[in-house]
Amino acid sequence: MNARALDRREFIRRSALTAAGAVIAARGESVGAVSLPLLQGSGGDEVVWDKAPCRFCGTGCHVQVGVQDGRVVAIAGDPLAEVNRGLLCVKGYHVGKILYGADRLTTPMLRRGDGHVPITWDEAIDLIARRIHAAPDRFAMYGSGQWTIGEGCAANKFMKAGLGSNHIDGNPRLCMSSAVTGFLSCYGVDEPAGCYDDLDACNVLIMWGNNPAEMHPVLFSRVIDRRARGEEILLIDIGTRRTRTTDHCQEYLEFRPQTDLAIANGIAHQLLKNGSWDTDFVSKHCNFRQLDPEQPANMYGKPMTFDEYAAALEPYTPEYVQSLSGVPAEKIRMLGDLFGDRSRRITSLWCMGMNQHTRGTAINCLVHSIHLLSGHFGRPGDAPTSLTGQPSACGTVREVGTLSHLLPGGRTVANEAHRRDCEDLWNVPQGRIKAAPGYHTVLMFEKFCTPSDAGGDIDTLWVQVTNPGQTLPNLHKLFNRKADLEGKFLIVSEVYPTATTRLADLILPSAMWVEKNGMYGNSERRTQQWFKMVQPPGEARDDCWQTIAVAHRLHELGHEGMKGNDGEFIFTIRDERGQIVPIWQWERYYDVNVDRHLFEEYRRFTRYKNKDLAPYDEYVRARGLRWPVVEQPGGTWRETRFRFAGFDDPYVTGGAEIQFYHSVTKDDRALVWFRPYEDPPEMPDAEYPFWLDTGRVLEHWHTGTMTGRISELRRAMPRAYVELHPDDARDLGVQRGDVVRIESRRGHIDLPVWINGRGSPARGQVFVPFFDETRLINEVTLDAHDPFSRQPDYKKCAVRVKRVPPDGQTR
Amino acid sequence: MSEDSPISRRDMLRGRVLGPLLGGLRDAAASRLKPLAPEPAPSGAPPDAARAEATSRYAKSFPILRPPGAVEEEAFLAGCTKCNACVEACPYDSIIHAPVRFRRAAGTPMINPVGQPCWMCADAPCIASCEPGVLRFDLPMKMGVARIDETTCLPWMGTTCTVCSEQCPVPGAIEVRAGRPRIIEETCTGCGVCQHVCPAPGNAVILMPMAQRPPAPPADGRGATPASECNADEPE
Repeated sequence: MNARALDRREFIRRSALTAAGAVIAARGESVGAVSLPLLQGSGGDEVVWDKAPCRFCGTGCHVQVGVQDGRVVAIAGDPLAEVNRGLLCVKGYHVGKILYGADRLTTPMLRRGDGHVPITWDEAIDLIARRIHAAPDRFAMYGSGQWTIGEGCAANKFMKAGLGSNHIDGNPRLCMSSAVTGFLSCYGVDEPAGCYDDLDACNVLIMWGNNPAEMHPVLFSRVIDRRARGEEILLIDIGTRRTRTTDHCQEYLEFRPQTDLAIANGIAHQLLKNGSWDTDFVSKHCNFRQLDPEQPANMYGKPMTFDEYAAALEPYTPEYVQSLSGVPAEKIRMLGDLFGDRSRRITSLWCMGMNQHTRGTAINCLVHSIHLLSGHFGRPGDAPTSLTGQPSACGTVREVGTLSHLLPGGRTVANEAHRRDCEDLWNVPQGRIKAAPGYHTVLMFEKFCTPSDAGGDIDTLWVQVTNPGQTLPNLHKLFNRKADLEGKFLIVSEVYPTATTRLADLILPSAMWVEKNGMYGNSERRTQQWFKMVQPPGEARDDCWQTIAVAHRLHELGHEGMKGNDGEFIFTIRDERGQIVPIWQWERYYDVNVDRHLFEEYRRFTRYKNKDLAPYDEYVRARGLRWPVVEQPGGTWRETRFRFAGFDDPYVTGGAEIQFYHSVTKDDRALVWFRPYEDPPEMPDAEYPFWLDTGRVLEHWHTGTMTGRISELRRAMPRAYVELHPDDARDLGVQRGDVVRIESRRGHIDLPVWINGRGSPARGQVFVPFFDETRLINEVTLDAHDPFSRQPDYKKCAVRVKRVPPDGQTR
Repeated sequence: MSEDSPISRRDMLRGRVLGPLLGGLRDAAASRLKPLAPEPAPSGAPPDAARAEATSRYAKSFPILRPPGAVEEEAFLAGCTKCNACVEACPYDSIIHAPVRFRRAAGTPMINPVGQPCWMCADAPCIASCEPGVLRFDLPMKMGVARIDETTCLPWMGTTCTVCSEQCPVPGAIEVRAGRPRIIEETCTGCGVCQHVCPAPGNAVILMPMAQRPPAPPADGRGATPASECNADEPE
């Protein structure tokens, strides 16, 4: 115990020193064979340093990880990383401690009655394989934007090219799928054209329902730092709740939930009315679009003329927008004037506020559209940029295509040519990949939580690297019902006990972060790599190995899908001498770098949509590279910062200034959309008079599975709360610390009140963070979702609020 | 800070740099962790008479964070009966017995905010429970003063953090300008909440117990009127 306490003390001391900005690092051999250019240091110290992207959010900061005696003992911001330049956020400085929570899962556990008993890995793998073998169509896999790229590649291939099933989805469905449909609808290809460099070049930064001061603090610091150096930068917060971001903004435009669409249309209306839209840019690079009422499910809609577009916008006068949104008409005019001024450099940022929206695709399209219409696109600082919340939502899910309708490299299962392509690249027989999309997240869990004889045709569900028991909306319907169902089998690969493992039938202990090799892809198309640095505890093993081991067991059981065209196992990897390495045996798994092999296979998928990735070893040398990464004549590899812009993007041809080379309309033009404002599916009424908004907090990352194990962060933010407007609190007769019940048509929870605290919601709104596993706000939220992206809306539903007297009774 | 710093990395890691800066503490990094408990000299360190003397003087005079409303230290040590009443009265278990290393003060009530700070109850049950009258309502509820180490505090280093100002139970004791917290020393009561909640690696709050507390007023006015100027909202 004492030695352990000393370790911890040393750990904190070192963290403290790194936080003080000391540049400390030594040269050391990493696990992999390729040497790394590390920070300069005197060497000879017992601490070995290596690089890794931070485990937490989608910003993609790099950290230096100090390892001593097989333990991570220190973390420092990586000054060589362009993303963070040595800075970290409060979570990042503590990231090393996520490995050492006291309750790490270290052995496979099978449910027996109300509890779990330890079993061997062989038994666990065999059990999973046999369940899948018995009913492959009734098996689904639910993954994550925290899957490494290798893990996503393995799971996607296992499901789509092995089992021939598209029932694989990931939690980015809950997080950024509306951003995907927005990019696809406007540009014909996913992911932002710009990058973080826009934050250094813009002079207007508009945050749409976005709170980067808490959720992407390192990025926000880049902007605040510019201002501190005396640069002029106008920060505008368009939101429904005052946040820590608002504190730094010159303009705060508070709108009624859902009316962001009206504001965006109001800006477009102003551009047309003032004649300040960019006629040159639009005439060269844009077409106009609207939804086709005869085919409402078609995300790509139908063309409209400029006159039709102008007519559709006609109602969105500043006064009308004010009446819908509550934002004063003169502020709408102000926004219109800003966009109308081409001398400005305007960057729009958004994250969950626009994505977790039943009209998420529509508002994403509209923000792109006002940038296109005003020509604020394609110059450094002029960019509509979505941020992601997970470290590899882009890298593993959007790019590898681990969603139920996608294939790797921007392909879709519905497209026959795409399927043939992928079957060839994966070397599996033609026809192996199914054409029909699998279940998206909400539907997958609905099917899993419906009795098998009542249409619930998913019986076995394997969850990796995510915690749906806390994050799904409407948990009573989509998750908790599983507890009472017979014949349903939930497999959870996890690192700590969570709300999901609570209902798991089989718990598999996983290796995490620097306990395994990995690659992530961040919000700005930057692919990052790291090596395994320490051993996982107990019997914890890589998620990727788990997938491959189950696939191999199925192969042994005679499942034809686990064979490729050559009759070999689909995850066959050979060493330099051509010998097959039995990577499905854990003790042999690290005989080769499986991550490198999976990545090199996946890399061949990426050129189709010009998302070219460099060879694995280039990422070993770099602090991430932004795709497309294209080989140069001298054999070096060059990343791309500004996509579609002739001055930077190698795929723009003929000296064009801008070229949308994956245009929906096949004419190198992007689409400017008209999408009307519509009411949300559930609005406050007499019975449920408040809007409920949910979200994250700075100190905890998502469900707190990792950050909740870090004592500093837990002390700083121990439990969830509800933010109330002071007037609403007065009407309810509650003060700070009093407990209120938040109740919707779906569920209720009790929470202490915080007034004028971290954030300040508008009158008639409440805000609750979702990190606290002891108070699950998602038992209250709504599972209504966007019809195109299938992303649920966690930001608005109707609730009522009641004071809970100390005796706990509300009535 | 800078890459060409003359300070060796090994020294940084071992805390040999901060030590001298903080004026004689042997190991500043460790002291930051446990401000009330300086650690013994590293084993194997050569004996150093001057240093040993300084250390011993330091330990004898080391200020102790008393519960609110405490009388001057000599009077406190003379009057406190170690009856345990304040320890039991505290609803947050913030008051603990001073450990042996506090020598003369061992066994008397103190607060270690890293473990549990004083949450500044409006009715101060600790004072109300004090029979010998070494905790008094007619003395200020000021236990010490917090300082923010600007080389460690996250907003001062350029990243976002707002925890201390949000959790501080004394209105106006922490002012935030341009996102950076500053302690208003006259208002701060030294309750230690900011130190307790600070998530900066190594903790950015240094808490200095009051070195000189006022003596007890001559007349026995104990318990007459709760001191109001330092009272704060009930903590959550």
